[in-house]
Amino acid sequence: METGRLSPAAMVAITVLRVLVGWHFLYEGIAKLTSPSWSAVGYLKVSRGPFSGFFKYLASHPNLLANADLITMWGLTIVGALLILGLFTRLASLAGIGFVLLFYFANPPFVGYFYSLPSEGSYLIVNKNLVEVAALAVIFLTGSGRFAGLDRILHLLFSRRPRLAGA
Amino acid sequence: MAGEDEKDKTRAQAGAEGPRKLDRRDVLKGLSTVPALGLFGYAWEKQRGYQQVKAQAAAAAPVAPAGLQEINVALLGAGAQGQVLTDSMLRIPGLRFRAVCDIWAEYNQRRAVNTMKKFKHEVNGYEDYREMLDKEKELDAVIIATPDFWHAQHTIDCLKAGKHVYCEKEMSNTLDGARRMVAAARETGKLLQIGHQRRSNPRYLHCHNKLLGEAKLLGRIVTVNGQWNRAVTPDLGAPDRYTIPQARLTQYGFKDMHQFRNWRWYKGKGGGPIVDLGSHQIDIYSWFLGANPSHVTASGGLLYYEPKTHEWYDTVMVVYDYDTPLGPAKAYYQTQTTNGSQGYFETFMGDQGTLLISESELNYAGQLYRDPNAPAWDTWIQKGYVSAPKPQETALKENSGAVADVRESVSPDQHTVPVVLRDPYHQPHLQNFFDAVRGKAKLNCPSEIAYETAVAVLKVNEAIDAKSRLSFAPEDFKI
Repeated sequence: METGRLSPAAMVAITVLRVLVGWHFLYEGIAKLTSPSWSAVGYLKVSRGPFSGFFKYLASHPNLLANADLITMWGLTIVGALLILGLFTRLASLAGIGFVLLFYFANPPFVGYFYSLPSEGSYLIVNKNLVEVAALAVIFLTGSGRFAGLDRILHLLFSRRPRLAGA
Repeated sequence: MAGEDEKDKTRAQAGAEGPRKLDRRDVLKGLSTVPALGLFGYAWEKQRGYQQVKAQAAAAAPVAPAGLQEINVALLGAGAQGQVLTDSMLRIPGLRFRAVCDIWAEYNQRRAVNTMKKFKHEVNGYEDYREMLDKEKELDAVIIATPDFWHAQHTIDCLKAGKHVYCEKEMSNTLDGARRMVAAARETGKLLQIGHQRRSNPRYLHCHNKLLGEAKLLGRIVTVNGQWNRAVTPDLGAPDRYTIPQARLTQYGFKDMHQFRNWRWYKGKGGGPIVDLGSHQIDIYSWFLGANPSHVTASGGLLYYEPKTHEWYDTVMVVYDYDTPLGPAKAYYQTQTTNGSQGYFETFMGDQGTLLISESELNYAGQLYRDPNAPAWDTWIQKGYVSAPKPQETALKENSGAVADVRESVSPDQHTVPVVLRDPYHQPHLQNFFDAVRGKAKLNCPSEIAYETAVAVLKVNEAIDAKSRLSFAPEDFKI
């Protein structure tokens, strides 16, 4: 095997990772869409850390908040479905990274921060959001959709340039 | 796996020579994760099914017993409070919602209509309540949760149209309005219940009827203390796309969208924080003391909020004097809107014991303290009126980690009121109203009682302006 190229087994593992992360996104999105009164307002209001000003600003402006709520609900749902299907995988991973980083920085588990809302685990700087960001980075960089996903079909149908060996 | 790897390599090399055609393997690999989406769909459908079963079980009440007369109901005012009342009413059996009226057709009205449709009530939406009264002839009762300055007109018109009315507190922002409401109820002979919902709360009823009335556990109540502390809240807004056209706002008495959303802060619209928050609890003062106040002193001011958009004071501290059947009493009440710690409660302090109570099931849900010199409460514990006292030594250890000798200071025994409300807070009061509509109960808060409370509470606003002690005459409370 050439250096720098992942074995099919590794690619299968990354594809499984992609489907799992996609599943999580999709359900987070759909659960919000189907809840009659979901809004990010509570999460934004208790925001802490260097960017809390921005998040609190969002929470206190109904127009912005309504848009942020819509973007979050639909964004998570769409990104989730795309990741599962392996369609526009790189774009979806980037969008996913954007979303989760926002969630991470709204309430970051930084050293010296103590939250009263219970979370299901114990976190210091690294929480599951950050791990999901890293997972999405791997998915982005390995182009998992072209291994197993609709991107493979799209790519072969529409790519005009000759493919380079080992690319 | 290794074999596949080899194949992939050959294909990759083949691909290096030029664009390669899609083959069967590519299609299979390309579609390989699609079943995961199908699996998700299946799992979600299942999960949703369970959630619906749970939601239906939670809203299980509306299975009406055979022979229960169905009441046709309309909701007038579908804002935050209208929503609270709707949530309660959807759990009460034997109601048929027919109409929803709200001038915010773009948002509140639509939301309320959708909620009711989910619960299989075919309702019509209206912007103008007169149109609703004209068209919905079969209505039996109207539930009013509009801003306070509309209460009198809405209530009177509904009563005159032959409907029974449940109107939110404060019954009106003016005593004149409140008086006209009582008169209309008397004239039409229709029921008018005012939404002081603690009057139907089983814990408050237990305290009033059993603990104070029958067992007289507190002895003579000499002082009362209560509060509603609310944290700083930003003004309410609304997304631009839901803005009500200015003509409609003006027609219904609002100068702009901000005033429509934050009417409680405007004079002439709401009655000020003493009405918004204090009214519920001052109503309990009079009820539990068995008397209306004789004097009131109050100090209030706008200490914190922007005066342009906050015409009322944000903080007020009030002292009432009472001549109760057992002797004079003083009652303190404060409401402030800049700090929410310790929330809301009422404390009744008698010469034999103390009752700390609130509507909340989470905080101050009902604690009793027996003065060490008071007669023992064993009989009442045996009857289940109060809980057994909390062991004192344990309490000390739990709270502070310190071990104190009980002889150091004899604290009062601490008991709890063993009554819990497992329904939404407004449900018993609405249930009482609908029972009365069916002729099976007496109203717990008819307009005459609510009028007495309105007199006691609205006087606070006068006392703040007068900066002096104002007195009530007994006839002030009569109509």
